[in-house]
Amino acid sequence: MRRWRHSVDELAARRRQQSECERAHQALSRVTSCFQQLAASLGSTADSSFLRDELEETRTLAHRICCGLSRRLVRLVSLSDSCVEDRQVSERLWVLLLSALEHFLSDLRKASDLIGQFPLTQRCDRNSLINTGCMDGVVGVAAQVALVQVPWLTLEEEPSPDLTCHISGLEDMLTEMQRRVPVAFWAVEATQAAWTEAHGAVDEPDHSLEELMDVEVVHGNKMATCCQPMCCGLGCVG
Amino acid sequence: MTIRNTLRDHGQRYRPRMACLKKAEKVLLEMQDPKTGVKSQPQRLVITTIPHAITGEDILSWLADRFQVDTQEARNVGSMLVALGYIYPLQDHKRLVIKPDASLYRFQTPYFWPTQQWPVEDTDYAIYLAKRNIRKKGILELHEQEQYNRLHKWMNHKWDFIVMQAKEQYRAAKERKKPDRVVFDCQERAYWVVHRPPPGTVSAMDYGLERRIEPNADETKTPDFYERIMIFTQQSIMRPRVKSSVSIGALVKYCATYNNHDPFLSKCLPSNPWLTDDITYWNLNMTNVAIPTKMRVERWTFSFGELLSDPRGRDDFRLFLKKEFSGENLAFWEVCEDLRWGAAVTMREKAEQIYKTFLARGAPRWINIDGKTMEITVNGLKHPHRYVLDAAQTHIYMLMKKDSYGRYLKSPVFKDTVKKAICPEEQKFTDAQLEQNAKNRRPSLSPIVLRQQEQEQRAKMAANAPVDITQVMSKLSKQGKEAPPCPPPAKK
Repeated sequence: MRRWRHSVDELAARRRQQSECERAHQALSRVTSCFQQLAASLGSTADSSFLRDELEETRTLAHRICCGLSRRLVRLVSLSDSCVEDRQVSERLWVLLLSALEHFLSDLRKASDLIGQFPLTQRCDRNSLINTGCMDGVVGVAAQVALVQVPWLTLEEEPSPDLTCHISGLEDMLTEMQRRVPVAFWAVEATQAAWTEAHGAVDEPDHSLEELMDVEVVHGNKMATCCQPMCCGLGCVG
Repeated sequence: MTIRNTLRDHGQRYRPRMACLKKAEKVLLEMQDPKTGVKSQPQRLVITTIPHAITGEDILSWLADRFQVDTQEARNVGSMLVALGYIYPLQDHKRLVIKPDASLYRFQTPYFWPTQQWPVEDTDYAIYLAKRNIRKKGILELHEQEQYNRLHKWMNHKWDFIVMQAKEQYRAAKERKKPDRVVFDCQERAYWVVHRPPPGTVSAMDYGLERRIEPNADETKTPDFYERIMIFTQQSIMRPRVKSSVSIGALVKYCATYNNHDPFLSKCLPSNPWLTDDITYWNLNMTNVAIPTKMRVERWTFSFGELLSDPRGRDDFRLFLKKEFSGENLAFWEVCEDLRWGAAVTMREKAEQIYKTFLARGAPRWINIDGKTMEITVNGLKHPHRYVLDAAQTHIYMLMKKDSYGRYLKSPVFKDTVKKAICPEEQKFTDAQLEQNAKNRRPSLSPIVLRQQEQEQRAKMAANAPVDITQVMSKLSKQGKEAPPCPPPAKK
């Protein structure tokens, strides 16, 4: 009787941990998406020290989530005495985390390259920023980042590393995780079928944006003279 | 996560240096200068204006001014910048060319610039397609749908991550102001037009084969490294040397001879197909054309190797040798080439066939090689391999070169060919005609079809091969007449 109750408790604990990891995954996705939006403005005229500070904060938040998530998942997946379903869920979470880490790592590398290429230390550096048409509208994105809730945010406090250390730390973490826990990631299957995300409940469909981008053609042509598309040696034909 | 085996990976997966990227970036930075760069104007949309749009003619005039080149060259450079993804067109976004009029372009943000060291990941493309799917409610273009299905199949294990990330990115993008959102979407769309071009277009990011070693990495100085350097240096010392005057003289002679035949250095008649999209030049120079061009015939007079390597020249030479009854030399040489380059499976049979036809005593097409070479060859044929007939082949080659080739050049066959050879007029196309030519581009014959034609040709030739002595003899004996063995025709 006691053993039965013990196993039920174990099961409940594991389920709790898995749902905690799922929520952390969501949070990590949100933070990395915001990071990408911010990094897309690096090197353009919208680049500023405010942007770079926001980038730093987003990065440290992501670091905290990643560390906590990896620790918990390693513990979860290493448990050998679990039923098949539980094991499948844990492996799925494991593969999701590794994919997310890889994706974030590539964004970090790009951001670090760009920060090195476009330093903002002197006033004359601003002349070499690219005029991309973006004005700084990243306040909304920064607010999103601030809203992210992580289950264990308050529990663990670690010193956040700087950019290069973060990159190397992530790389090490990835190799370490792959080495320590053997998970057959090709056995994990997607829970969603293809094309279903289009029918999902995403808040109003943004028709106006699409129309906006197409309207350019009409307006542009009014200014343009009748253009004869020329071909040249490198012609990429549509 | 991506499936990667880093321990025993000997694959080629490093992208070669793309030096043009660094140079393009420098040019782009110069274009940004508020005083000396390209002047920009705001782009008016329905609800807002977006700054920093530039017109095609402004870009071209700036490039022509900066590099001191003519407009055509400026257009080539401008189109290259667009094709690489540093500038993207706002109208007609799928065609990556610069139009010399008031059509608008914008600079791409450095986050979406092409880089040499980080290849474009399929994961990112999958996230982009999923995002587009969400936005357009399942209405994607045909090639995008195909790619989506393919990625869904191959990345099934991380598909949940892809969908989750796509949704989050969509939500994050919504937080920005409307004009910035439009700009970001245009930038992302332009990025993927460059790196995942729709089928049928040419991509400027094609870089050929991947390399085995990372070109940017410094090589570590292990003992192995030093051993390789030592071997390389020793081989360099042991190499046979030629006086520089001799080798330079050979280079000069080559350049002087081939100068008029080089399509870059002199005009290509009627017109260079890569520039004008008109394939008359290729049609006139096909392998089995009846009347060759004058330039081609002139090349045959440069050296015997040129004559033999051009299939049309070889046909002409074969015709000449047939008239002289010494066709077996060329036939033997061709059959040796077939042995050298052919499949290993049929080598033994081929070697036997060659011996029976050309080398054995009383063979139907007996070739005249000296005793020593014959001895070496016959001994080698006991254990045939690819290069067993090399000595005999070289002997016959030199024979043909020193003797038959000279007579061929003076023969009526060749003189006739020279008289009939055509010299096409240079074609001049107007811009409208060039546009028409580009529209009418069609893929050429598939190599499978070409190979079939070649094989049919060869079979036809084999059927029309000169009659052997044995066939003649057997025919005569069948008729019951005892004809004396006729001496083989005078061989040279």
